[in-house]
Amino acid sequence: MENQQQDLYNPNVLINIGPNHPATHGTLRVMCRINGEVIEDANCEIGYLHRAIEKLGEEKTYHQWMVYTDRLNYCSALNNNITYAMTVENLMKISPTDRCMYIRVVCMELSRIIDHIVCIAANALDLGAMTVFFLLIHWREEAYTMIESMCGMRLTTTYARIGGMSYDLPDGFAQRLKKFCDEIPKAIDEIEGLLTGNRIWIDRTKNVGVITKEDCAQFSVTGPCARASGIDMDLRRDRPYYIYPELDFDVVVGSGGDVYDRYLVRMEEMRQSVRILKQCNEKMPNGPLWVDDKRVLIPNKLDVYTKMEVLIHHFKIFMEGIDVPKGEAYTCTEGPNGEVGFYIVSRGGPKAWRIRVKSPSFTHFQVFEKTIKGGKIPDAIAHLGSVNIIAGELDR
Amino acid sequence: MKTSSVSPNAKYLATQMALTEYLKTQFGTGRKIELDNFEEVIVWAKDPADAKRCVKDFMTDKNIQMDFLSDLTAYDNKDGEDGDKRFVLVYQLFSRTFHTRIRLKCLLDENESALTIVDLFAGANWLEREVYDMFGIDFKGHPNLRRIMMDERFTGHPLRKEYPMKQREPFKDNIRLHLGANEDK
Repeated sequence: MENQQQDLYNPNVLINIGPNHPATHGTLRVMCRINGEVIEDANCEIGYLHRAIEKLGEEKTYHQWMVYTDRLNYCSALNNNITYAMTVENLMKISPTDRCMYIRVVCMELSRIIDHIVCIAANALDLGAMTVFFLLIHWREEAYTMIESMCGMRLTTTYARIGGMSYDLPDGFAQRLKKFCDEIPKAIDEIEGLLTGNRIWIDRTKNVGVITKEDCAQFSVTGPCARASGIDMDLRRDRPYYIYPELDFDVVVGSGGDVYDRYLVRMEEMRQSVRILKQCNEKMPNGPLWVDDKRVLIPNKLDVYTKMEVLIHHFKIFMEGIDVPKGEAYTCTEGPNGEVGFYIVSRGGPKAWRIRVKSPSFTHFQVFEKTIKGGKIPDAIAHLGSVNIIAGELDR
Repeated sequence: MKTSSVSPNAKYLATQMALTEYLKTQFGTGRKIELDNFEEVIVWAKDPADAKRCVKDFMTDKNIQMDFLSDLTAYDNKDGEDGDKRFVLVYQLFSRTFHTRIRLKCLLDENESALTIVDLFAGANWLEREVYDMFGIDFKGHPNLRRIMMDERFTGHPLRKEYPMKQREPFKDNIRLHLGANEDK
């Protein structure tokens, strides 16, 4: 260390970014060895937001643990909620009702839009484009207001339940969703006009933070980051769940794998999500929201207060928890960042034996460590924003 | 409207079932092959060396092409439900060509070490570090096996069943950051 202070031309200067840094958007820490302005070596340190969520999963009942899934990827809590509910349903061999599936797909696509908005807006803000941030965050607020009308909460939603959803859609939701779907493409067009052909944006993002196709395969990169590198992979199409086979949408694939391509892929995915939302809104079926299965069905509140048997049933579900049979299941969905998966090992009873969260950010941060080498520090900031590392799901 | 009895992804069960049959004929000798609650196939490797061989074979086999490591984790088998050894190591493999999944499992004793697969999937590096951190499973040949979530001075392995839920071990200062991903431990 003493040597480094004496020698201004030392090629081994260490720069520490994070864990408290405005551009890291979370508790991420990167140690870089720089030569001039070029990063020659980098090392990431994670675990600053480790809350032992997987360990807690072994202590809590299946419903109690639902709230922890919100705290994984807090930009798209609904995706985690629903994937977790889906895993437990797969364990119990329950298939949700049609209406439930449609509502879940609406939720997942809404939160995908929110997540992409956060990613693009924050990435642009890091690179100095503040207008984009304000324009986009307005639409995030609109989407959050819609989610609030569905479940009463904005950021940490806890909307899904095993076997159904906590509330049905509110009155007039279809009109609100239609208005949102009609208006947001104009905002996306406006952002495209501000960024896509912008000289400064292109200079800052093109050929910056390139993740090659080989790296994606080696480091298990999924989601928009993999698609931007030219890997044609989307779980919504490849291993469809819920009603995705009936919906018409395109999988967006880029080619360069740089920050610019990831931005373009995210922009186009938002448009595809709007397309899915429109179709869901038209096709939204009526009918029951909950599966007719005594093991998981949460009784109607009015019945709980008036009927003895229903009260006992309600008490048993919430005090003892639901009885999940022995076995295991791994279920993953296409989250906004990539493959979000839950692996649950059950030994029977109301608590899981082991819950494992497969989070996309974990693999993305690992490849980040490799791909920032050779770039400059401002490039690392652009790269970090575009892979959308969420510390909550990185550290769990 | 009636409740749909079959999940729409049921048609993908067909390809998954064909994979199970293929595995039973090609890789079934000496290995237990079973299905989980979601009809996905679980292959039990004989020992750690066999697990690595399986990962490699599944990757290179033209008919299954498991070229994507979705996840690598472990769980505590303290109650002996899955065998007489202490831990179960779990590899989640995915084929980008056929969109099928294999869950490869391997029983491990407390003092037995697994073989690293970093040479096959570079992404296994951090995943194996996490398994080491949480369960104390050693990976032979790993380039940089040290704790990832916990502080380096931390004692014990939190996801083992005997580790108490409420145990705390705070440190006042931050750790010195190691530079270079391939530094020796």
